This record gives sequence, C-alpha cells and structure tokens, in this order.
Amino acid sequence: MSNPVAIDSHLYLDEVDHQIIALLREDGRLPFRAIARQLGLTEATVRGRVRRLEDSNTMRVVAVTDIEVSGYNMLLSVGVQVENRTPESVARSMAEIPEVFSVNVVVGTHDIEALVVAEDQAALHTLLSDRLAKLPGVRRLTPSLAVDVLKNQPDWVPL
Amino acid sequence: MTRRRLDDVDRAIVNRLSQDARTSNRQIAAELGVTEGTVRARVKRMEEKKQIRITAFTNIDRFRDVCLAYIWVEVERTSQVREVARKMATIRELGFVGEMLGRSDILAITMVRDHEHLAEFVYGQISSIPGVRRTESTLGVNFVKHDYRMARIVQ
Repeated sequence: MSNPVAIDSHLYLDEVDHQIIALLREDGRLPFRAIARQLGLTEATVRGRVRRLEDSNTMRVVAVTDIEVSGYNMLLSVGVQVENRTPESVARSMAEIPEVFSVNVVVGTHDIEALVVAEDQAALHTLLSDRLAKLPGVRRLTPSLAVDVLKNQPDWVPL
Repeated sequence: MTRRRLDDVDRAIVNRLSQDARTSNRQIAAELGVTEGTVRARVKRMEEKKQIRITAFTNIDRFRDVCLAYIWVEVERTSQVREVARKMATIRELGFVGEMLGRSDILAITMVRDHEHLAEFVYGQISSIPGVRRTESTLGVNFVKHDYRMARIVQ
C-alpha cells in the first residue's frame, strides 16, 4: 500500500528513503549491494539509510509467517461492545492475548474491532467464550469468520 | 490449501528473521550451528512455498493524522461475493480483503486521513464496483496492536 500522507516532520524521509523502503517491501532480503546498484548509490549510503530508518523506529524488515503454517486455521474479525470500562483499557487487555493479532479502538456500532486467529473450532470457542467474553468491560462480541482472505498485506502497523 | 508445517530448524531461522530480517545468512548459520547453505536454501524454500514473506513495514505512528478504516461490504447477490472481493483485492490502498461469514459479505481494511477521505475512497473505489449493494465503515481512533509477524500469505 502506498502512503497517501506526509511523514511527520521529526524524521524527514526523502525520495531515496521511499525508494529504499519500496525495494525492501518487495524483497526484504535484497542485499545492500543490489539496492545500491538499482538506485545508483553507494553501498555505504544504503547501509546508513537503512540503519537510520530502523534506529528511528520508522521501518522494520521482518519475516512474516503465514497463519496457517503457524497452525491457525481460522481467522475472524471480532467487534466488541464495551461497558463500565474505557475501550482503550479493554483493547490493551485484549492485546495481551497472542491470538488477538490486531486491535483497534473505533467509533461506530462497536467500540473495538479486532482480528483473531484460532487453531480450530474448539480453540475458537475457548478464545471467544472463556477468554475474551470474560475480560472485564466486555459486553458483547460480534464475531465474523473469514472464509477466504484474498489479501493481507498491511504496510502500516504500530511498531 | 494446507501447507507443510515448519520443522525445528525452519522455525529457528524464522524466529531470527522475524526479529530482524536483515541478519545475514552467515550470522544465522553461526548462531544455529548449521551451514550458510542450509540457511540460504531454507529461507528460499519457505519464501517460494509462501510459508513466510520477508518485507518492510513502516510505523503508522510516524504518519500524521491517519487512522485505519474498516469497510464492510454487502453485495446484491451472494453469488457475486467472490467476484467483488477479487476486484477489491486489486485496489492498492486496501491492506486486507476477506470474504466473511456473519456480519457482512466482505471486510476490507485501509488507512485514511479522516472521515472525508474515507467517504471519498468508499464512494470512488468501492461503491462503484458492480454488485456492491451497500457499505458500512468504521473509523479507528487508536491502533493498539498489530502483530505484523502474522498474516495470511496469499498464494
């Protein structure tokens, strides 16, 4: 996904930074030398730029493991309605559960939107009924099962 | 679609790469006590089999005034779900597109600046797809967690 917005001024990213990020999105293992050759820079420049992007917590290059390969066969979105507790604090409690891999406080019918994974139907039942539903502040859960994920490549994440 | 699980060596390599994928094959090999060739071959195989994907992520907190938007799409006829979802998957701005059971037919996730940008995006890119009956959007106010080391890697 492209970034449609300006980067915050505390770390100014120029065109070269964006080009490096774009190449690393395509192939995170692309050698510094290859990046340098493609962009007409020296290897030392590329190395320095990548280090600066990483040190400033602007970019990270990591391996993403397929959820099915990790043993999770089900992916669901879960809308959460909250009572007697702030959505922020319920969201933080949910975030501590490894199977809850994405949590967003939202405005709308629900107070929180989350994405969760489960190994199978029994594990899903335990996750929803015993762990999530029993968290203090959780009023109602509205789950929806993803029967097919056609795309899952977010480039934007809280690091 | 079931893919082979990873063995212990694969997992050790992935574990290292999910902390920092710029670590050299040589260094990983030294840490795990295997040859550099083994690391190289395994990484290549896992990538080819779409078990892992090595990529760059940028920090959403570094962007000014952006939030995630969840867009729920209902289609005219259930038989159109697949086709509409496929079209949506080609939209560059969408980071997630899933065919869903329950709340709606399709869920899409994207990043927008504000309500106005969201409305513009939905009107311009989603509502115009043939078969889309109605959409419902939710705007995120605080992105608390996203485990980016976990994703559905689409074949």
